[in-house]
Amino acid sequence: MKRFFTYLKTELKLSLRDMNMPIFAIIMPFVIFIILGIIYGTKPAYDGADYTFMEQSFGAVSAVAICASGLMGLPLAVSGLREMKILKRLRVTPVSPVFILGVELSMYIVYCAVSLATLSVAALLWGVRLHGSFLAFLGSWMLTMLSTLSVGMLVGGVAKDTKQASVIASILYFPMLVFSGTTLPIEVMPKAMQKIVSVFPLTQGLTMMKNTFLGVSTGSILLPIGVMLGVAALCTILAVRFFRWE
Amino acid sequence: MSEAIFVEGLTKTYAGKTVVDHLDLSVKSGTVFGLLGANGAGKSTTIECMLGTKQADSGTVRLLGKDPKKKRRTLFQRIGVQFQEGDYQKEIKVSELCEETASLYRSPADWHNLCEQFGIGDKANTPVKGLSGGERQRLFIVLALIPQPELVFLDELTTGLDAKARRGVWKTLEGLKEQGLTIFLTSHFMDEVEALCDEICILKKGTPVFRGTVEQAKTQCGCERFEDAYLQLSDEEVDA
Repeated sequence: MKRFFTYLKTELKLSLRDMNMPIFAIIMPFVIFIILGIIYGTKPAYDGADYTFMEQSFGAVSAVAICASGLMGLPLAVSGLREMKILKRLRVTPVSPVFILGVELSMYIVYCAVSLATLSVAALLWGVRLHGSFLAFLGSWMLTMLSTLSVGMLVGGVAKDTKQASVIASILYFPMLVFSGTTLPIEVMPKAMQKIVSVFPLTQGLTMMKNTFLGVSTGSILLPIGVMLGVAALCTILAVRFFRWE
Repeated sequence: MSEAIFVEGLTKTYAGKTVVDHLDLSVKSGTVFGLLGANGAGKSTTIECMLGTKQADSGTVRLLGKDPKKKRRTLFQRIGVQFQEGDYQKEIKVSELCEETASLYRSPADWHNLCEQFGIGDKANTPVKGLSGGERQRLFIVLALIPQPELVFLDELTTGLDAKARRGVWKTLEGLKEQGLTIFLTSHFMDEVEALCDEICILKKGTPVFRGTVEQAKTQCGCERFEDAYLQLSDEEVDA
């Protein structure tokens, strides 16, 4: 474990030096949240709602960091290691794909967590309050994060080069960002479209995060949990199994 | 004396062109073996097929008695590798690269000491990309020695080093050999090969044209200087 953290520490330092991820995973969601706060302040989500617009948005904005980490940062980081031939060097060391993917995964969990923490502090400005159970919200946040990051791990683990990873990442990133409810509420989409987007783990995760944050009854939670766990398990297994060193 | 490297019938073709052709090699533990040949003779491909980073078409490879493909993780605890082109993360510093590498092994050497020995002890906080070519080359030798290996592969050992630094590297490697390290190297410097190698193999278009000691090569060719013998054997001699 000590070796794992030594490695993680260095990779985090390198990532911070690069500044891409701090901007996309931490600063960007923070700025979006602040702008929403300035616009909506403490207004209710709609006339007669029990919660404010900011409270309704909290889950979605915290998913921006998850999206940036899982669908941009992680795939590009892993495929970058391959393109720079660092994986080739690591191949002639005792390191396992699980170790490498584990370090990268942990790094992006740190980003997501830091983002959630900064948003939570900013939320105090507009009296945002968690209506539901803290554990339920944290649980849905973790599930959303792990399933999204696992998709990124799979893309990064098997893509030929950074270019391919970036194309796949964009194909996943933008539709999920637009259609999962992060930016466009699911409720306004046509029924058929709602069905299609519900297979995105992010859609399931986001709905759950929103509901647990607002303390609204969600109906069955088995389907979202099932989809997210399934995606996470499947992608992780495939990423390790088909990991490419070169 | 046991065998550190055993290669039999190693063959690799690229797009119909045979780069390594039924190569057999055997290196005894605690000796220095030099694989020589012109650029494109197949040296690096041979090393990569031996290490498993390239898939050979056929042949058997045993490093320290084990199959490097099947026993990759246990075997590379005991084997150090320096590739011809060392690659590293863009912004990484010397200390970070050493620390990261050391974190991969069960009982790594003290990298500070190794850096001192190789004359880059004062560069710990320098970004790797800010090192001179020779310093970077020495850093990658340090990385190959961090695992405290029993066997080390050094591809183009001292390319880019000045005369003094090369002597320093030789001395350190001789010291490690005394302690039982087996060294497999490629080099274009014949003085280096003569100073270090117990046995050599000269490759030409993927096939060995000579195997034996430096002295045997000189005798066989009737040359006084090893470099002349090498040129004659590898058929590179330029008509004066």
